[in-house]
Amino acid sequence: MSAPSMTKFITKRPWLKRWMVPLANWYADAAGYRKLGLRADDLIPEESDTVMLALKRLPPKEAYDRVFRLRRAFQCSLSHQLLPKDQQTKPEDDYLYLTPYIKEIEAESRERGDLEAMIVNKRKQNKS
Amino acid sequence: MVPRASFARAARRTLRSQCSHTPNNRRTLASAKSAGYSYETGEVNGIKFASRDIPGPTTQLALVARAGTRFQLFPGFAEGLEKFAFKSTHKRSSLRITREAELLGAELFAYHSRENLVIGAKFLREDLPYFTELLGEVVSKTRFTRHELHEEVIRVIKLNQKSILANTDQMALNSAHSVAFHRGLGTALHPTSSVPITQYLHEQELATFSQAAYAKPNFAIVANGASHDELERWIGEFYSDSPATPPSDFPAIETKPSKYYGGEERIAHDGGNNMIIAFPGSGAYTGGHYKPEIAVLSSLLGGQSYIKWSPGFSLLARACKAQTQAHVSTRNLSYSDAGLLTISMEGKASHIREASQAVVEILKAISGGDIEKDDIQKAIAKAKFRTLEAGQNIGTGLELTGAGLVQSGKPSNLDGIAEAIEGVTEDAVKKAAKSLLEGKATVSTVGDLFVLPFAEEIGLHV
Repeated sequence: MSAPSMTKFITKRPWLKRWMVPLANWYADAAGYRKLGLRADDLIPEESDTVMLALKRLPPKEAYDRVFRLRRAFQCSLSHQLLPKDQQTKPEDDYLYLTPYIKEIEAESRERGDLEAMIVNKRKQNKS
Repeated sequence: MVPRASFARAARRTLRSQCSHTPNNRRTLASAKSAGYSYETGEVNGIKFASRDIPGPTTQLALVARAGTRFQLFPGFAEGLEKFAFKSTHKRSSLRITREAELLGAELFAYHSRENLVIGAKFLREDLPYFTELLGEVVSKTRFTRHELHEEVIRVIKLNQKSILANTDQMALNSAHSVAFHRGLGTALHPTSSVPITQYLHEQELATFSQAAYAKPNFAIVANGASHDELERWIGEFYSDSPATPPSDFPAIETKPSKYYGGEERIAHDGGNNMIIAFPGSGAYTGGHYKPEIAVLSSLLGGQSYIKWSPGFSLLARACKAQTQAHVSTRNLSYSDAGLLTISMEGKASHIREASQAVVEILKAISGGDIEKDDIQKAIAKAKFRTLEAGQNIGTGLELTGAGLVQSGKPSNLDGIAEAIEGVTEDAVKKAAKSLLEGKATVSTVGDLFVLPFAEEIGLHV
């Protein structure tokens, strides 16, 4: 799920961010998924245990809306059509609804891995 | 027994500060005097706590909150809160809590009774600060996440419901309570599978309920095998985040006094037979409804044997000798403002039928005065021993003390109980038996209803 990302690098430098944000917005729009009524998080491949679990943890409303968007997009794709302008995803609706859950699950499994690999040292004395 | 005088504590503190080059958390075995039988109590930042400095290398620490099934706002909340103990908090995940506790060699436990929710830990004495902090974190910083509720808590509750379906003993006891007290104390201790809980259990409401349940006046901390001063110090440090008052926009935890109703309930069951005959019993010593004669009557009726190879002196054990396949036992279940004297019979249906008739005959005999003085003496000794033992036992003692602290501000006074039981006269026992028979009984029957008798048939008034 974690593709290499330059987000951190860019957001740390305000001047670079100022340049990149309009470019990123243009790119997201040009990618075309918004014209099918999808959100960026709908494009995350779900064939992994992490994403499957994250999908299970979505609130019922979010999960329902996601399925609706996907089916509508399939329909559009099959009939070689774009959605009418008013039904396309607006940039402000294109927020990360799934990524926080994925990040949480990844943090959980990272912590589990860290704890498994831990080397335990016996303490000499309590902190007083 | 003798509360340690405050000057002794001050003296110890001075002594400690003089020898400040030694780490003050080094394990020291308590002196014989401080290893008292009863708990030393205190209050810090509005949190009541009690400790008993038993000499020994381990400590048992528990937090007793007044949030058992009696006080829950919606079905399953006590159970939900119990299962959410030691789940992930804002500071660390549940996995980390588990692993850290394992590394320290500790045991964590959480359970609830009808009145109390108990979460606690058993650990080595020098780890007291860690576990005091952990309990404080559980109380004020649990995250109550949605996914933990659905993936772990509700799943476990549902499995629990299934196990209870097969348990006729629990079923009969729950039924007896609900018949005797209706709401409040009558709420089932664990919801059965026919109780709709998923429509009530939501993580946000559970979180708000936890703020009410874990508000400072609503819980007490009890420790066994920890020094009083040290416990005071760590509680002062780690419990500043607990709310001082329950949230105002949420219904307050109900404290309506319990009322005894009585009646009969019969439940058909294929997996066993159980019959409970119950009467209003004695409340806890710290409440105002303590009746020592009920404790004596309970051990006089008895039924269960405590001495090997002997049926025991108790009247029911002797009367039900022929019913070898019925197990009879009498208990007084005491709560803060009420009690339930239960005579429970389980085993073969036909034997239970005969035993239940014997129970009523014996109660009539006691109230009629047909009873030997010797038996009363034995019953008094037994009742005294059982009460004192329950108080001295660490597990039950923790809950008793904590509940006493929360409900009336003082831990149960075991010496007082022993004195009250010793003062019970033959007359008082007879009178108690008579009043039980005159009032309404509670009869709960689970099992083969074709054979098991109705209350009317064995001569009880419901």
